[in-house]
Amino acid sequence: MSNPHKPHVKVMRSQLSRARGLGSAQTGVAHWWAERASAVALVPLSGWFVIQVFRLAGASQPEVAKWGARPLNATMMLSLVILTFYHTQLGLQVIIDDYVHGKAHLPAGLLMKGIVFLLGLFGTVSVLKLALAGSSRGRIAAG
Amino acid sequence: MVEFRLPKNSTVGKGRTFTAPAGATNVKTFRIYRWSPDDGNNPVVDTYEIDLDRIGPMVLDALIHIKNDIDSTLTFRRSCREGICGSCAMNIAGENTLACLKPIRDIEGDVGIYPLPHMPVIKDLVPDLDGAYAQLRSIEPWLKSDTAPPPDAERRQSIEERAELDGMWECILCFCCSTSCPSYWWNGDRYLGPATLLAAYRWIADSRDEHAGDRLDALEDPLKLYACRTIMNCTQTCPKGLNPARAIGRIKELQLERKV
Repeated sequence: MSNPHKPHVKVMRSQLSRARGLGSAQTGVAHWWAERASAVALVPLSGWFVIQVFRLAGASQPEVAKWGARPLNATMMLSLVILTFYHTQLGLQVIIDDYVHGKAHLPAGLLMKGIVFLLGLFGTVSVLKLALAGSSRGRIAAG
Repeated sequence: MVEFRLPKNSTVGKGRTFTAPAGATNVKTFRIYRWSPDDGNNPVVDTYEIDLDRIGPMVLDALIHIKNDIDSTLTFRRSCREGICGSCAMNIAGENTLACLKPIRDIEGDVGIYPLPHMPVIKDLVPDLDGAYAQLRSIEPWLKSDTAPPPDAERRQSIEERAELDGMWECILCFCCSTSCPSYWWNGDRYLGPATLLAAYRWIADSRDEHAGDRLDALEDPLKLYACRTIMNCTQTCPKGLNPARAIGRIKELQLERKV
């Protein structure tokens, strides 16, 4: 009995062949673990940052520059910025894996990683500028 | 991209209505998804008004009543009617469960019944599970041991080793969990889904099995295993009260354990 509504069959590969696919990629643990480890590390770092923002509320520009020039603050800020953007790209990659399929998957991931990398680098350079140049600018301003 | 809308030929229309017999006092309305591959039409939802005094307490009783007495074209799978065969898995009142274990009185308002979500439909409430079965086959759900069994006895386990399998051997492979999982909807071609991963962990955890490493190798993949986003729909929907999410979590722990 032929069925006039039956569409043309394009895939006759067996279900088992499709289920096995190209095999296991032998990766995934590192990404999964890095996502969780960076999330845990960001909890105290973010808490510290929120406290500092409240403490600096209403402070003048030179006061904030002086704060940013302290090695401890600069170290904490660099950790926060780098880990935040590292965690961001790990998480966004998961969203892309979920929702972008086919040929768009690879370029979408590359574009996302490029944007996150540039944003993270911008944050890093900003913190470094404050850390390395802040004190000298303070001197110039004082002199 | 992922599909957020139903394809044109899957949008559901309004179907026929079968009113309750005159004199019925305890009437409940069932709205049931209908689709046949034979006529080329879109799916519809048919409405059946059922006199609950004439049937047993479960949703499956209502379906059998419809098929026997009202509309013999209604197509669904069922066999054991006691929650051990997994045949009558379907989406009832928005939740994947077994029609034979779901009491009608637990459902408020009309009872909507659809096939398991996001699977190809063969007819009415019968989904095509070939892909899911093939995924189960791909993890080789059988004992693999290089040590010969004792010539005069079965392979033995301690009481504690046997207890490790509790909560897993009870799985009846109804695929309520896999078809409730958004990750499985979006990436079901590569993500194995909770039912298959529960089965995989059942063999990893079995003290008589000697291929845990090979099994973990086969699962270590960004999508096969790690497409699990711990949404937990699987555990919430399981009609047998099992916890596939915990099994998946254990596999992830073991993957990590062998790396560090």
